[in-house]
Amino acid sequence: MREEYLLAALRMGAGADPVPDAVSAASRAAFALRLPGGVAAAPVDVPVPPGARSDGLEDGGPRLRRFTASGLTIDVETSVSDGLLEVAGQIGPAPVAVASVEVRTPHMSNSRVPSRDGRFAVAGLPPGWFSVVCHRSGEPPVFTRWIHVRP
Amino acid sequence: MHSDNTLARLDRAAWEDLVARFDGRMWAVARAFGLSAADAADAVQGAWLRLVESADAIRDPDRVGAWLVTTTRNEAARLSRRSRGEVVADIEDLDGPGGATPDPAAEVVDADFGRHVWRRLNALGEPCRSLLRLYVLNPDARYSQIAIRLDLPIGSIGPTRARCMSRLRALVADGEAP
Repeated sequence: MREEYLLAALRMGAGADPVPDAVSAASRAAFALRLPGGVAAAPVDVPVPPGARSDGLEDGGPRLRRFTASGLTIDVETSVSDGLLEVAGQIGPAPVAVASVEVRTPHMSNSRVPSRDGRFAVAGLPPGWFSVVCHRSGEPPVFTRWIHVRP
Repeated sequence: MHSDNTLARLDRAAWEDLVARFDGRMWAVARAFGLSAADAADAVQGAWLRLVESADAIRDPDRVGAWLVTTTRNEAARLSRRSRGEVVADIEDLDGPGGATPDPAAEVVDADFGRHVWRRLNALGEPCRSLLRLYVLNPDARYSQIAIRLDLPIGSIGPTRARCMSRLRALVADGEAP
């Protein structure tokens, strides 16, 4: 029996530190974020340039992640500025047949029409969880796994 | 490819039933990692978002509760490591969506089992009984506060807590033995 399970059970048994209402409300609201029929894009390793850190971290600078599915490559770069999350990226390979790119958080969603070379950017998002969804005509949407970013 | 043997057809009522049944357990497990309320909320939300992205791939809907608690534990462990300054991935390392293996032990985390563990805890001697009571009932208490309450050296709180939890685990395991 893991220690954290014993501790969790003890608190539940004593009614101590119950789950806050706002957390349960967010859990219920997550249902609306499902994309039935959508295709999940899995993360893949991004080649590390010579001299760069192998873990991909750049001491607070932008981080690049890559996801692939259904013939699409979704590069996602994140940074936090003034406490808000900025998400930029590129859909490939060119020419892209993506009608729109949607950056979703549990609280809001922003759509962009990608440039001809597949680039997109969204700023001013609350830090926390987000996912990028590529919408294509006549094809199921392709979405990245949910990514967690905090300052 | 969808089949009836996945959670792909989960409707809102079933989702809300899952929340009602497991949200409290998920929160308690996240907080048991010592996470702040904000980080624990992120861990719980992360587990639900993993279900959002993985519902088509979960092959054993009967064990979704254990899957949710296990996934919360994994997200909480990742956030806990990051709060200690460790470099961690921002996406849990799964073997694809739905790849988290439900931990059977996660299924017993509930208030009934908690009351059983309390009876075991109350059988411990001092200082374990008082220390664990303080630690359990005051999730945000610092070791310095517990040290003052129990009149113990602050440096002894961590090792004593670990020793007492180990004894409690043994007592619970003995109680479960046939």
